[in-house]
Amino acid sequence: MKHKNARAFKALIAAVFAISATVVPISQSFAAGESLGKKCTTEGVMTGTKSTSLICTESNGKLTWQRVKLASGNGRPVANLTPPKGEIEFWHYRVELADQRALVKIINDFEAKYPGTKIKQVVRDTTTYNNTARVAILANPKAALFATSRGAIFDQFAKSDMMLDLSNQRYVKQNVVAKGLTAGQYEGKQLGIPYQYLFNNPIVNTDIWAKEKWTTPKNLSGWVAWCKDAKAKGYVPLAWPGATRGQAAQISNSALMNSAASYDDLAKNLADLNSGKIDLTSSWFKGVADIYVKLRNAGCFPDNATGVTEAAAYNLFATGKSPILPIGTFAMGSIVGLNPKLDGKMELMSMILTDGKVVAEGIMNNTYTLSVNKNSSSRDQKIANAFLSYLLTGKVAEIYANETLQHVNVLDVEYKNVNLLNTVSFQAKNTMLAPRFLLLNAAVSDLTQDALIQIVGGKSPDDVLPDFSRQIKQKLQG
Amino acid sequence: MGLPAAVLFGLFYFVPFIANLRYSLTKWDRITEPEFVGVRNFVNLLTNDDLFYKVLGNNLRFTFLVVLFQTLFSLIFALFLVKNTRANIALRTLFFFPTILSSVSVGMIWLFMYDPNFGAVNLFFTRLGLENFALNWLGSEGSALYAIAFTQVWFHTGQMMVIYIAGLQQIPQELYESAEMDGASRWQQFRNVTWPMSIPTTIVVMAYTTIQSFRAFDLIFSMTQGGPNNSTNIFAVLIYQTVFSELRIGYAATQSIFFILVLVLVTVLQRRFLSSRYEK
Repeated sequence: MKHKNARAFKALIAAVFAISATVVPISQSFAAGESLGKKCTTEGVMTGTKSTSLICTESNGKLTWQRVKLASGNGRPVANLTPPKGEIEFWHYRVELADQRALVKIINDFEAKYPGTKIKQVVRDTTTYNNTARVAILANPKAALFATSRGAIFDQFAKSDMMLDLSNQRYVKQNVVAKGLTAGQYEGKQLGIPYQYLFNNPIVNTDIWAKEKWTTPKNLSGWVAWCKDAKAKGYVPLAWPGATRGQAAQISNSALMNSAASYDDLAKNLADLNSGKIDLTSSWFKGVADIYVKLRNAGCFPDNATGVTEAAAYNLFATGKSPILPIGTFAMGSIVGLNPKLDGKMELMSMILTDGKVVAEGIMNNTYTLSVNKNSSSRDQKIANAFLSYLLTGKVAEIYANETLQHVNVLDVEYKNVNLLNTVSFQAKNTMLAPRFLLLNAAVSDLTQDALIQIVGGKSPDDVLPDFSRQIKQKLQG
Repeated sequence: MGLPAAVLFGLFYFVPFIANLRYSLTKWDRITEPEFVGVRNFVNLLTNDDLFYKVLGNNLRFTFLVVLFQTLFSLIFALFLVKNTRANIALRTLFFFPTILSSVSVGMIWLFMYDPNFGAVNLFFTRLGLENFALNWLGSEGSALYAIAFTQVWFHTGQMMVIYIAGLQQIPQELYESAEMDGASRWQQFRNVTWPMSIPTTIVVMAYTTIQSFRAFDLIFSMTQGGPNNSTNIFAVLIYQTVFSELRIGYAATQSIFFILVLVLVTVLQRRFLSSRYEK
């Protein structure tokens, strides 16, 4: 009897603990009266960005409180690993001042926490890094932790068999946003952890939008009509930088995302384009080109669009000449630098460029993928792993996110910056991993973007698409 | 005495040259092992690569424009500034100034100047009422190469002017004095004394400018990266893109062999043309 009572008491204690561990944090989120599945009134309002947070979002035609998808993980976050003593190099391409401020602070904190462990940053600008880092790291086992960008560069590094499989690390499974792990996977292995969680396109000036009483266009016809209206009111509808291929290409994500019946179909089309099975004259890509033609004819792009640089596009948006910057959240820091009055006045918007079936409402990208060097010594790998796990703890990632104005791929991060808060709710939408990076052959990718830029510049797809298809074919044969 | 030089030459020029020849016979992406493909890269380049011929045309046009105008302007400036007066020395310094800037800085400055909507160049034409001259300078295939050629001329004319001034100052004064005594006009003095005597300098200036034009990588890369639609792409940019962006090392090695051949051919033709003038 006594034995039974003890067991019942233990069960009671366990139940109380379980309830307090789950209900208490949730109830904190519900302090304002929000609860999962219940009706809400303002779309996009959130209770926070923790795993327990809720967002007011549309579901079955009604606004209800739903889980913040950003906080979806594979388990409860764990603490970082403890490193051995020693020094490693951390190679990456974030030369920006804000990144440096954040990373220097994070590294100093880490080194203070673990005396005798040193992390030496080796930073190169993106172009230099993409062109030289792989060979340099292959020859340098001290470069135990390194970054790659999603797409062709990650693919090249992965093919070089230089990244340690991190699939079984607890901090990977439990500290990272589950959806955000895909971009670091290669042939079933988790070869890298994307640190940034970006939204590519487009950023909106909310003041202009409110002043003109515009509502978000729901489809391609809506965008065409909106461009005409914005142009008539004296705006440059889209501050599109046709002279800077990399940023001009951001809008292609929106054009691509609903161009096929599903993500798998789109991925197949892009893989076929990449390998030469289809070319730019395929009916699918003609449809993509046609979106550009419609936007061009509606006056969406700036005058002399092919000569507009990234800096000029930022200028158009920051000075209020343009209500939309079709680039990404990563541009917000620069925009605030140009015009501090826009702080807190920027949001993301769905850019649905189809009149047909909607596969996705927005674009996201996971990049700045961090990997541990397979060729480093076991001790250096342990240091790299420990530092990576440290970067992937909520509190540390918070420093990086709020300093650099980038969303991160880490659970339980509290965004304090107003621009990050204004845009993080976009996570609740049905977003697609930026499809343009599925073109892994750089020549194919560049020529595809160049073809679209030429179309915006005024040329006919009938001339451009066969010409660029021939160029792609020659590149693939050469 | 010649041995160290021979060793250095062998190590830093001959060995890489042979290595480049070897790579040109392979297909290699710097990830997998090089695969021997014989002369396939050469055949492809000559028979199945429109971009190669476009780049060749761009490179020759760019070089022709730059060599012509840079040589002409530097000679004209040198003629005006050849005497060592204070004003001339100040002006020489001013004209020489762009040369000391880094080419990427020059590229960035002119990128802003050429901006079709905010740039100073279009503003200048618009203010003068010449709206037709306010073009999409770097964004249009028709004007981009010429805009960059102008920048290159602006960038290096001062440097060539200094070489010309040094050459012109070597011409014996007596030649001008006797020409004057014979009643030669300023134009006749230029045609019969200055120009023939400055041909050796012109050969140096033109050869140097030609090589400079073929190597205008940083300026073009910082301004257009070879765009739009490869209308400003030259060999130096093409080879870079083939190596680093496309990871086609073998093919880039083949392109670089043709790059050298074209450069040598142009320089030899130029030299022959000017030398024959000099001998006359």
